[in-house]
Amino acid sequence: MSTKKILIFDDDTTILEIITIIFEENGYQVEISETSHDILEKVSQFQPDVILMDNWIPKIGGVQATQLLKSHEEFRSIPVIYVTANNDIVRLAQEAQADDYVAKPFNLDDLEEKVAKYLQE
Amino acid sequence: MIMETENTKTELVVIGGSAGSLQVILEMLKKLKDELSFPIVLILHRKAYSTNILQTLLQQFISIEVVEIDDKTEIQNNKVYVVPADYHLLFENKHMMSLDFSEKMNYSRPSIDVTFKSAAEVYGKNLVGVLLSGANADGVEGLGFIKKNKGKVWIQEPETAEVDYMPRHALQEVSCDLIIKPDTLADHINKQ
Repeated sequence: MSTKKILIFDDDTTILEIITIIFEENGYQVEISETSHDILEKVSQFQPDVILMDNWIPKIGGVQATQLLKSHEEFRSIPVIYVTANNDIVRLAQEAQADDYVAKPFNLDDLEEKVAKYLQE
Repeated sequence: MIMETENTKTELVVIGGSAGSLQVILEMLKKLKDELSFPIVLILHRKAYSTNILQTLLQQFISIEVVEIDDKTEIQNNKVYVVPADYHLLFENKHMMSLDFSEKMNYSRPSIDVTFKSAAEVYGKNLVGVLLSGANADGVEGLGFIKKNKGKVWIQEPETAEVDYMPRHALQEVSCDLIIKPDTLADHINKQ
């Protein structure tokens, strides 16, 4: 089986560092980004199997970045898991057209389980 | 002889780190023994608006309680403390920590130097100061202060650091008691 690739958008380097360590330890290939305005280039270059998208991310924000991605036919099928501490998480994930969501602060096992679920499908 | 041992026993371990240090911290947390006779304080450079996410994530690696410090937090043995983003941490005495919002030091708040110096004044020879991976010089002056106050200084081996500037600079400036590798940090702490 080829290595599964995760692209993570979050501007909190602490979160990026911890998630990267955990997923790499579990055999994933991880790419991180602290901005989302260049999401199309990032996705095009890295070809991720799944994306984790933070709500508060500089320049265009998580909702707009996910919408942008989903408006492109070639990228539409890549699962996006929306990640936020915002109480309005369900509405934000729907508005973004994300495939799923995880509330911050998250349990790392739950996050990994959710990612694995999309990689099996 | 017994008196000497009592006098030099470790009462606090303060660990400072910046870029690339979390990997070392996580590895350490996984290997720490269940019962420590002293507290551990982590000073990590973080973004100003980080929430309590660091405490929540670190707690998932260890059975010992991880606490994000509030102003006037009582310090207790067998706990791991993390400093909230955008505050300096000071030790008022061996029982109480306080947060401080004064200006940044070395472009950093929390500053590792500020806490190392404060801890050195309060704990003297009963302190262990550890400096890990990082990209600036914050912590180096503080380590010197710990040494001056007879505390122990541990520095990560630069070759094992993701970003080696901080430990390399520290080794040039401060006389070090122990050069640590990421996989041995917990063992050394467990032996204290």
